[in-house]
Amino acid sequence: MNNVVGKILIVLQLVFSLCFMCFAGAAYTFHEGWKNRATTAEDKLKNTNLQLTEAQTARQQLEEKLTADVKTQTERAVMAEAKVTGLDTSLAQALGNLANAEQQRDKHLADLAIAQQEAQARISETTDARSENLRLNDRVVDGISVRRTLEDQVLELQGQNNEAVRREQANIEKLERLRGVLSKNNIDWEEALKGPVLPVSEKVNGVVRAARKNESRSAELVEISVGSDDGISKSMRLTIYRGAKYVCQIEVTEVYPDVAVGRVIEETRNGTIERGDNVTTKL
Amino acid sequence: MSQQNSDPTIYDGLMFVSLGAVIIGIVFLVLSLNGYGWSSGG
Repeated sequence: MNNVVGKILIVLQLVFSLCFMCFAGAAYTFHEGWKNRATTAEDKLKNTNLQLTEAQTARQQLEEKLTADVKTQTERAVMAEAKVTGLDTSLAQALGNLANAEQQRDKHLADLAIAQQEAQARISETTDARSENLRLNDRVVDGISVRRTLEDQVLELQGQNNEAVRREQANIEKLERLRGVLSKNNIDWEEALKGPVLPVSEKVNGVVRAARKNESRSAELVEISVGSDDGISKSMRLTIYRGAKYVCQIEVTEVYPDVAVGRVIEETRNGTIERGDNVTTKL
Repeated sequence: MSQQNSDPTIYDGLMFVSLGAVIIGIVFLVLSLNGYGWSSGG
């Protein structure tokens, strides 16, 4: 029996020994590959650790930077929030001001509409007044024209009247003088008398030395450069002309040897008399 | 005594074969451990 157990044990020992040898041989055969893989894995692990360290360092730096950035951004956010709060307040105030401005604008628009209506009414009134003014101006112009015409007529009539009064006075004086003369000579004054006939003078030419109004400004007196030496006598009518233009006629009232004074006959006036105008007895 | 002088059997040969296989396996393991820096001196 012992012999059988010993044999079995020997066979088992042989089998296990062979298995051990095969295992050891396999390990020896493949241990180089495992070593390389282990070395490679170790290198990878070192590189990975190194990268991990660098990544941790970078992460730490990044964290610090991000922390600083977060802090800065937080401060900026706080400031921005404060600004936003201020802006909100300003916006609310601006909205209030806008509402007030809109109310004032509406009020002003209403006032403007009323003012436009009033302005339109004033424009209508002004247009009417302008038309009335133009009409009155036309009437004024017509009135002025009529007034000037009437003034001219008045002046003409005044001149005629003055001339008539002067002539009447002169005639009265002459008549009184003649009455006196007739009474001294015992002649009846009611007899018909014929005055002396003035001699017909030759054509005499002279010039106007001066022309001015008399003291009462009722007549214009003219001084001429010819007198009694040239045949000029009182009551003689002379004609004044300038070039080819007829000016007026004068009646001689005062006569001196080389100068005479005449009064302008207004009915014959055709213009103003100027110094240097020609005067003649016959045209 | 006669039993002690008996001829070796096949099992004796198997014993030696086993011993050889163990020695060869040990050699393989030593060689493998040398690749990882192992030294017998501890």
